[in-house]
Amino acid sequence: MAETKVRKELTIANRLGLHARPAAMLVQLANRYRSEITIERANERVNGKSIMGIMMLAAGKGSRIAVTATGDDAEEAVHGIEELVQGKFGED
Amino acid sequence: MHGIRVDDFHRRMKEKLRLRLVAGGAGLKRRIMVPELNRPGLALAGYFDYFASRRPQVLGMVEINYLQDMDAALRRRRIRELLRRRIPCVIVARNYRPPAELPEEAERQAVPLFRSPMVTMALINRATIFLEGEFSPTTSLCGDLLEVFGVGILICGRSGVGKSECALGLIKRGHRIIADDVVKIRLREGRYLIGTGPDIVRHHMEIRGLGIINVQDLYGATCIKDAQEVELVVTLEEWDAAKEYERLGLEDKSIEILGQSLPHLVIPVRPGRDIVLLLEAAALNQRLKKMGRHAARALDRDLIEVMKRE
Repeated sequence: MAETKVRKELTIANRLGLHARPAAMLVQLANRYRSEITIERANERVNGKSIMGIMMLAAGKGSRIAVTATGDDAEEAVHGIEELVQGKFGED
Repeated sequence: MHGIRVDDFHRRMKEKLRLRLVAGGAGLKRRIMVPELNRPGLALAGYFDYFASRRPQVLGMVEINYLQDMDAALRRRRIRELLRRRIPCVIVARNYRPPAELPEEAERQAVPLFRSPMVTMALINRATIFLEGEFSPTTSLCGDLLEVFGVGILICGRSGVGKSECALGLIKRGHRIIADDVVKIRLREGRYLIGTGPDIVRHHMEIRGLGIINVQDLYGATCIKDAQEVELVVTLEEWDAAKEYERLGLEDKSIEILGQSLPHLVIPVRPGRDIVLLLEAAALNQRLKKMGRHAARALDRDLIEVMKRE
């Protein structure tokens, strides 16, 4: 399967932002895909499969993050993460 | 048949309670059915309703003096009646010499009669603690019990997952083993789970490829312990790529043993993961939590605080 690179900007919508529990959910979801996933916020770029990395972003409500996936399931990966973020991680 | 036999009670407590069998040895197979003792003052006065006949009867200063002041015929009648209630045994405290009718009747009715030099209340307290232990709920689990940095960790997991090897690693690092493979757990005072190893195999371990080893002989007396409260349960399991393991530890998972809830961790085992090291960290983290310092929650709080400020 062809390796693709997909990038998408998302806005954090849940009240408490990317704190520990959402970070863990994001990482667990990211780990289900074979693609390499990075998350960026401002000038920071972290591995989407690392909890501590994502927590380090301190992405509060309303902040913009960019998800980039590279691999054969990049499309699905970005779509999955988009749904999770837009679904406010099941919070609020 | 429940309860504890009087000869067992005697054998195990004769030193602690300084018991001496005076009469009624033929009745040593009688059983103590409740973990309490009774002072039969009211019974000696003739009131036998609600008499606690399933407990050992303890005669102290009051009872002995009361008996001695009694008319001889009445005394014999009351003693006879007391012993006829299927009581397990009689203990005379403070080394009092009981009136002659007591050993005579005890012998005739085959009710064990003991004497002890202990003060009545001290005797009752000590015997009660022993009986409470004997009557408390117990269970037997497959696993290893170790004391790591003072925290009792019960290591569970499927046979062959490496529990004993892990235990050996902890011993080598200076921690102590209480039981390997079979852990007997007793509920103390309705809340503490105390684990021990079975008497015969105590301080022995079975390691695949080595066979049976004596841990005390190999590593010395500092690495063993007879009993330890279980404070943390760790289940080791083979790494399952499809399974999602705990990543945060925000919520404390628990497991029930004898109706008590204990903190529970599931640690996946995989080559290159130093489980001994992980268990040491788990023990320390458990200690911190007990002191009210919960790393995962503290970090989460700090993070939420930072995001709010932005």
